[in-house]
Amino acid sequence: MEQPLSSTPPSSASTAASTLVRHFPVEVRDAFDRFRAGRSPADADIVVLAVVNDHMPNKVAGATATPIDPTRLIEDLGFDSIAITEMVFFLEDLFQVRIANEEILRVRTVGELRSFLREKLGASAPTSRA
Amino acid sequence: MSRRAVVTGLGFITSIGNDRATVTESLRTLRSGIETIEFLKNPAITVKVAGTIKEFVTESPSWRDWRYPERYDFPREALRSIPPHGLYAMCATEQALLDAGLQRSDLTDGTTGLYCASAGSPSLTHLHVQQMHATRGERGNPMSVVAAIAGTLNFNLAARYGIRGAVSGFVAACASSSHALGCALDDIRLGRQTRMLIVGGEDLNAESVLGFAAMRALSTNPTAAQASRPFDRERDGFVVSGGATCLILEELETARRRGAPIYAELAGWGQAADGYNVAVSHPEGLGLADAIQRALADAQVKPCDIDYVSAHATSTATGDRSEALAIKSVFSPSGSRPTISSTKGITGHPLSMAGVMEAAFCSIALRDGFIPGNKNLVVADEACDGLNLAQETMETAPTVILNNTSGFGGSNVCHVLRRFPAE
Repeated sequence: MEQPLSSTPPSSASTAASTLVRHFPVEVRDAFDRFRAGRSPADADIVVLAVVNDHMPNKVAGATATPIDPTRLIEDLGFDSIAITEMVFFLEDLFQVRIANEEILRVRTVGELRSFLREKLGASAPTSRA
Repeated sequence: MSRRAVVTGLGFITSIGNDRATVTESLRTLRSGIETIEFLKNPAITVKVAGTIKEFVTESPSWRDWRYPERYDFPREALRSIPPHGLYAMCATEQALLDAGLQRSDLTDGTTGLYCASAGSPSLTHLHVQQMHATRGERGNPMSVVAAIAGTLNFNLAARYGIRGAVSGFVAACASSSHALGCALDDIRLGRQTRMLIVGGEDLNAESVLGFAAMRALSTNPTAAQASRPFDRERDGFVVSGGATCLILEELETARRRGAPIYAELAGWGQAADGYNVAVSHPEGLGLADAIQRALADAQVKPCDIDYVSAHATSTATGDRSEALAIKSVFSPSGSRPTISSTKGITGHPLSMAGVMEAAFCSIALRDGFIPGNKNLVVADEACDGLNLAQETMETAPTVILNNTSGFGGSNVCHVLRRFPAE
């Protein structure tokens, strides 16, 4: 099972976050590095889309290979509630944010997830532990 | 009892082989699966050997880092919520289904059930609890329960294979998968199910092993091939192993109708407890003797019908002695002297999965016509005087086998397996 390093102390959070993206393609890892340096929403988008792709349970035939904004997480990509929970846990560790149940319950599509995280990361940027 | 049950499929990820052919060869040649290992990179740990799982790399808590044979192809949803022994179990189940000529679609109509046994995953539990404390309880991994607690095998396998019949897990330490197999037989006999998958599995790592070292139950013999020596006078404890075994049990007429390969008949089972000690077996093997008697009665066979006893003997001083005395108490009065051996001399002791793994070995022995020997038995314990222990593998075809298992708390479970067809 996947093990985000949620117990990692702040001093090593940067290393832990890099560890979390170790299995992503190099362009995603580069985008993550750029995001941490510059907080660009475009770079965050690249990472978020990769995370969505990575957490699809691979169950629904014809699931979209590259998620686009209107794509629905549950109906189109085959996410179940535990996959969404797992993805939220991963995003929390990756971006060092906290996401409440009521926040994620409002997210239904890939586009809504992107927008939500842009807002979340913008708000948390100055005090990020990363 | 009109409905009978037969073994129609086997799958193995074990210390002595990761497929039936390799396991069979290891049983015939007594090739040991035990290797030298250093736990926690600490040379001071006195336990130096284990029944290791080859071809798999599962040290990381993350499934992304795992390596396993390319012939297995599992989707993300099957991997996200399993411990290492969940991976072994899926591989063993894939083998068993192929062996039995079954598709996943054959398992979903409610007539197939699944009984599993494992101790859960101590290493993942440790990690998750550590994470919980580090965040003072504010965060936790969403998979921490389903991937780690005892029951993880039945949760994950039932979901993966769409099984809608009886699904449960059994927790009786080293007797667990024997309970699973016995209860599966009952469900088939009672007409509740026509097919049962019985799966036992265990992790093999420091967390799964060293608790037994704390009990002083493990061998400290550093020579891998000689450390596990059931019934031998020089035994000094057991050698832990892990892996997974899947055994498919089917109602006889159902198996016949679909032309399934039949290894053997599971003719009966019995269980009885010692009521004596939390960890130590009864010194005279009282509960095990009762379990043997009940299994023989259930299978409607006499002691003289048994020609091979697959012993539980794990290579501990107390347990092996108790089992020897239990066997004597059942067989000696009638003058019968079945051949006896424990395969743990080559496998080590895979804890919860021992019972189903050894029932699977018995099934192979019945079909292929041999009796596995007892590795490292040089001079038998005096408690074994009068018993017919097999040091080497015998090319003798057994007809009725007794398979013994014992676990903590004095749980004892025995199966009787019969060659099929009988003549």
